[in-house]
Amino acid sequence: MNDLAIELRGLTKTYGTGALAFQALKGIDLQVKTGEFMMLVGPSGSGKTTLLSILGCVLSPTEGEAVLFGEKLHGRKESELPDLRLSYIGFIFQGNNLIPALSVEDNVAFPLELRGASRKQALIEARDVLSAVGLSDKMKRHPNDLSGGQRQRVAVARAVAGRPPLILADEPTASLDAHTGQQVTELLKKLSTERGHTVVVVTHDNRIFHFADRTVHMEDGLLVPAPAQP
Amino acid sequence: MKAAQPIRTRPGFFRRWLTLGTIGVRMMFFDRLKLLGTLFGVVFAVVLGNFQVGTFLALLFKNRMFVENAVADVWITPPGTRQFQGGSPLNDAQLNRARSTPGVAWAEPLVLQTAQLKLPNGGSEPVSLVGTRAPRFAGGPWNLVAGETEALLQPDAVFFEDSEREKFGGLNLGSVRELSGHHVRAVGFTWGLLPFAPAFAFAEQTLAREILKQPAGSHTFLMVGAAPGVSPVELRERLQRELPDTRVMTRDEYLSEILTYILTATQIGMSFGLSTFMGLLVGLITVALSMFSSVVDNMRQFGTIKAIGATTGDLGRLLFVQAIVYGVVGSLVGLGLMAAMVQGIRNAQLTPILPNLAVGITFTLMIGVCLLASVLALVRLRKLEPAMVFR
Ligand SMILES: Nc1ncnc2c1ncn2[C@@H]1O[C@H](COP(=O)(O)OP(=O)(O)OP(=O)(O)O)[C@@H](O)[C@H]1O
Ligand SMILES: [Mg+2]
Repeated sequence: MNDLAIELRGLTKTYGTGALAFQALKGIDLQVKTGEFMMLVGPSGSGKTTLLSILGCVLSPTEGEAVLFGEKLHGRKESELPDLRLSYIGFIFQGNNLIPALSVEDNVAFPLELRGASRKQALIEARDVLSAVGLSDKMKRHPNDLSGGQRQRVAVARAVAGRPPLILADEPTASLDAHTGQQVTELLKKLSTERGHTVVVVTHDNRIFHFADRTVHMEDGLLVPAPAQP
Repeated sequence: MKAAQPIRTRPGFFRRWLTLGTIGVRMMFFDRLKLLGTLFGVVFAVVLGNFQVGTFLALLFKNRMFVENAVADVWITPPGTRQFQGGSPLNDAQLNRARSTPGVAWAEPLVLQTAQLKLPNGGSEPVSLVGTRAPRFAGGPWNLVAGETEALLQPDAVFFEDSEREKFGGLNLGSVRELSGHHVRAVGFTWGLLPFAPAFAFAEQTLAREILKQPAGSHTFLMVGAAPGVSPVELRERLQRELPDTRVMTRDEYLSEILTYILTATQIGMSFGLSTFMGLLVGLITVALSMFSSVVDNMRQFGTIKAIGATTGDLGRLLFVQAIVYGVVGSLVGLGLMAAMVQGIRNAQLTPILPNLAVGITFTLMIGVCLLASVLALVRLRKLEPAMVFR
C-alpha cells in the first residue's frame, strides 16, 4: 500500500497574519508515487516554491495534511525539521548555492558528513557521484572555477549523494542555456532512475517537460488540469 | 531499481564538531581580507591591553621595589605613610621602644633623602641616597652588577645605579665625585633600581648621615625583624600599640598599601584601567563587527547549510570554532608582537612587565571576546529561514 512518496490533503499555506495575511496555497491534494519524476509548472506567484518548501521540510504548512513516505509533516515542531531533511531530502536550488570556500568534493561530502559518514566514506561517495555526473577532473576545484553548467552538475551530485529518497529542484535550469539545461535535467533523470529517487522539479522551462513522468500544473495556489495543448 | 531509503544515521558528538568546525575554518580562510580585519582587532586589543597592564605593573614595581627587596618583616613609618616616601622623621625614643618590644629580634633605622651628585661638566644630578646599616645591610643594596656590598665599609664608598652611569658623567668603578659637598667613591653598581624619584644610591648609614647632614637621632623609617615564631601581623599589632604616633605595617601590608594608593589616590590606576578597557572594547567591537558582517555577507551559504539539514546548534558550532581560532591566533600574534616590543624597548626606565599570568589572561579574555561576538552573530542566524534559499 505504501508506494506513495508524497500525499497531500487540503494543504494550505498562509504567509503573514491579519491584514497582511496572504494565502499562497489554497488547498492542495496531491499524490506522488515512489520513484516518480514529477514536474510542477505554473505562472509566477502561483505557489510552486511554497509547495516545494513544504515538501522540503523548510516550511510548515498552515492547514491540511502532508505525509512524506508515511511520515507526517504537519503539526511538527520547527526543531524537528532539520532531521527530517537529513533523512529524506536532497535539494537542488535555483542558483546553485554551493559553498564557495569548499572544494567541489567537499561540497558534495558535506551533507554526507552531516548524516554521520566519516570523512573518508564521505569523500569516497562524493567522488563516486562526481564521476557519475562527469566531473571527475574537477573534484579539487572550487565552485568559482567552474562554469554554470558544471556548478549545477555539482549541485545534482550533492543532492543525490547519500541516496535520500526525495530530490527537490527549484528551477534547476533557470540560469543555464537551453542545451546545458537539457543535459543537466537528463543527468538528473538518469541518476534518479538508476538510484531509485523520487523527484519533484519546479520549472518554467518547457524544453525539459518531456523528461517528466507526470506534469502537474498550478495556478493561484491550486492544482489545475493541464491547459489544453494549442 | 529498489527505492532509496530514509537515511537515519547521524554524526556523533566529535564528528559533528569536526565537520562544522572544518567548514567554519575554511570559510574564515576563504575571505582573507575579513580574516585579517578580524585578527587585527584581536591583535590590537591584545597589544594595547598588555602594554597598558605591563606598564602599570612596571610602575607598581618601581614603587614597591624597595619594600620588596628590603629584608624587614615590619616597617615603622611616619603617620599617614601610603607609599615609599619619607615624612616627618622618626626618633631614637621610638627606635628604643621598638627594640624593647617583645618579639622584636632586631630594629634599625633607615635613612633616605635626596642628595646632589656633582657632574664633571659642572652640573648636578639628584640621587635618592639610602643610608643602609652594616653589617645587616637590610636596606640594600641589591641587584649588584659590580662590586660587593661589603665594599660600603670602605671610607667614602657609595653604590650607584648602573643604568644612570652616562647621566652621572661616565661614572666608573673607582670614580670620585662630589655628593652634596662630600667626596665619595663609586665602589659598585646596582641595576634597575629606578623609582619615580631619582635613582637609588647606597652608602653605609654613618656616611649617609654625614652627606645628608641628618642627625644620628633622626630616622626616615625603622625596619624591624621578627623573632623566630612571632608572626609579622602579631608583631605589627604590638608595635602599633607601643608607637601610636607612627604607622606600622608588615612588609605585605606595606606592599598592598602602595598598590591601593596607586590605584585609588592617584590617576594612574584609573587611566591605565580605562585605556585597557578601551583596548578590549575596541577589540570586541572590531571582532563582533567583522564576524557579524561575515555572517551577513554569507547569509545565503548559511541558509544552504541550514536547508541541507544543519541545525542552529550546528551553526553555533561552526561559529564557536571560528571564534576560538580568531581568539587563539590573534592572541598568539598579539603576544608575539608584544614580546618583540618589550625586547625592543628594554631599558631600566620603564619596560612593561609581562607576567606569565598575563599570557593566560590574554588567551582567556580574547577567546571570551570572540565567543561573545560569535553569540551575537548566532542570534542573527537563529532567525534565518532556510526557505530563503529558494528565493
Ligand atoms: N515569505 C513570504 N511572505 C509573504 N508572501 C510570500 C512569501 N513567500 C512567497 N510569498 C507569496 O506567495 C505567493 C507564491 O509564491 P511562490 O514563491 O511560492 O511562487 P512561485 O510559483 O514559486 O513563483 P515563481 O515562479 O515566481 O518562483 C507569491 O504571491 C509570493 O509573493
Ligand atoms: Mg518560485
